[in-house]
Amino acid sequence: METMNKLGRILLVEDDPKDVELTLTALEEYNLANEVVVARDGEEALEYLYARGKFKTRSSDNPAVMLLDLKLPKVDGLEVLKQIKSDGKLSMIPVVVLTSSKEEKDMVASYRLGVNAYVVKPVDFHEFVNAIRELGAFWAVINEPPPGSVRK
Amino acid sequence: MAQPKLQLQFAHSAVLRYGLAIASFALALGLTLLAQRYGFRNVEVPLLLFAVAVTAWHAGPGPAALAVVLSIAFFDYFFTEPRYTFYVTYSDIPYLIVFISFALLVAWFSAVRRRVEGDLRQARDHLQIEVVERTQQANLLNLTHDATFVRDMDFLITFWNLGAQELYGWAPEDAVGKHSHQLLQTVFPAPLEDVHAELLRTGRWEGELKRTTAQGTTVVVAARYALRRDEQARPVAILETSNDITERKRREQEIENLNLELAKRSTALEAINKELEAFAYSVSHDLRAPLRHIAGFTELLQKKVSAVVDEKSNRYIAMILDSAKRMGNLIDDLLAFSRIGRAETQKTQVSLAQLVKEALTEVRQDTEGRNISWKIGTLPDFYGDRSMLRLVLVNLISNAIKFTRARAQAEIEIGCADGNKDSLVVFVRDNGVGFDMKYVNKLFGVFQRLHDSDAFEGTGIGLATVQRIIHRHGGKVWAEGAVDNGATFYFSAPKPQGRLWKP
Repeated sequence: METMNKLGRILLVEDDPKDVELTLTALEEYNLANEVVVARDGEEALEYLYARGKFKTRSSDNPAVMLLDLKLPKVDGLEVLKQIKSDGKLSMIPVVVLTSSKEEKDMVASYRLGVNAYVVKPVDFHEFVNAIRELGAFWAVINEPPPGSVRK
Repeated sequence: MAQPKLQLQFAHSAVLRYGLAIASFALALGLTLLAQRYGFRNVEVPLLLFAVAVTAWHAGPGPAALAVVLSIAFFDYFFTEPRYTFYVTYSDIPYLIVFISFALLVAWFSAVRRRVEGDLRQARDHLQIEVVERTQQANLLNLTHDATFVRDMDFLITFWNLGAQELYGWAPEDAVGKHSHQLLQTVFPAPLEDVHAELLRTGRWEGELKRTTAQGTTVVVAARYALRRDEQARPVAILETSNDITERKRREQEIENLNLELAKRSTALEAINKELEAFAYSVSHDLRAPLRHIAGFTELLQKKVSAVVDEKSNRYIAMILDSAKRMGNLIDDLLAFSRIGRAETQKTQVSLAQLVKEALTEVRQDTEGRNISWKIGTLPDFYGDRSMLRLVLVNLISNAIKFTRARAQAEIEIGCADGNKDSLVVFVRDNGVGFDMKYVNKLFGVFQRLHDSDAFEGTGIGLATVQRIIHRHGGKVWAEGAVDNGATFYFSAPKPQGRLWKP
């Protein structure tokens, strides 16, 4: 059970600061927030993944999971997803779409592009916290990440 | 008409024809002999030749030949030396030859004249019959309401019926003899040469023509041309029948305009629909986020301050949370409702019994701690969209559960009512609080609620969703109820008549 204590890094791609705060609060409640990197739009997410721009000096390991909103400024979530899943070096990173949209076409498009999970953000805070906690616990702790992402 | 009849009889009876030969010969001979007795000489030749001529004229070449032979024989017998014998002396031969020649000539001449006269008579009769027929036809053509006129190949009008007078305004005496296209200022849909080429090739032509009447108004007519040829197949006349389609064309134009307008509007509607779709998407995404923030931060606030603030403040916080939750449900229901309007229905044969089972599983949570007696009848198969029909049943059943909450013993019945042979009727009946029938037409409206939300929670979209789904299936929804005496909700759908259907 030793690995359970090691926490994988979470890349949270979310433009809404309130959502970021709520997500971080939810993760904090279960001590999952220490290794969270926040990207505020699609471009920043790609900069992080490709280690360019302000993430030029980041450590070389990839995140254990990426929580991706769909409606994002500059480069939208589906485009980010498409680029990751079509890049051999990044395609193994687990991507969880975390969105307000229940629209079927978004869901279909995401699964077509190879998303690993699709979660609709619950309006109810308890459900939201539960969802975030379970996501964090599963992807950052329980799930064995692909080679290239390092756990601390 | 008696004369041709007699001729006809002669022509057809050999006995009569040869009888005439013998009779006319005998008469000529008798008259000659009688004349001789009274001292008239040299009448035999003209009389006998006359008999030959009469026979040839009336009885044809055979009897004429007989008359010639008889005349020669008896001319020889009675009138050449030696008399009263058939003996012919040399001196008589030239005389006899002259007589024979004359007789043959008269016979031949008569036969030719006869034939010519016969031909002429036939031609005349033919013409007479034709005149009668044409007059009858012309009278008939006057009877039709269609405008009918005839023109020759130089476009000059030769016949003009009453229908033509009514349609174009010219009387026959004004029209006959006029150039038809100039009189009517005809506008053809194709070059006139093409029209005539087709008419000459096929013998007919059809098309719509624009014309100007005597009163100066423009009419559109559907015209049919038929070419008349004579016996040598030369084109001689064109018969035209036409009827007024001005009104029809006007209506067609009107319909076309309406269709264009409709297409325009449908494009506009499509655009509006797209806009609505974008709106729904935006509602789904953008309204939910702030709502989540309200709920989330209020809850965080509650956690932080609930121990230090007074009861009233705690109640306010609880109310904010409750309202945020309600609004979340409203958004979800509205989105589901709008999605039903936009989604394609995927119709298959659906077992209602199976769907009811699934719906009951889905609402099981609401039945916990309740005492409900379920009565589920035999349910037919339905033809429709499985997930939509399931939503209908879930809505109706959860309503029944909700509105029987006050009953110690709730009774909910689901069954199939008597429809007619074309439609299926399913009902969900409960013994709950019911409703006042005077509000029945409000039941299925969006956001319409007949109970306050303290007593029965809900968004007021459930029955509107039911109605929308059933309407999309070509069916109807209706309800019966009484205050405090239960309610019954019905929905129907037409039975499909296809081969896919297995009753």
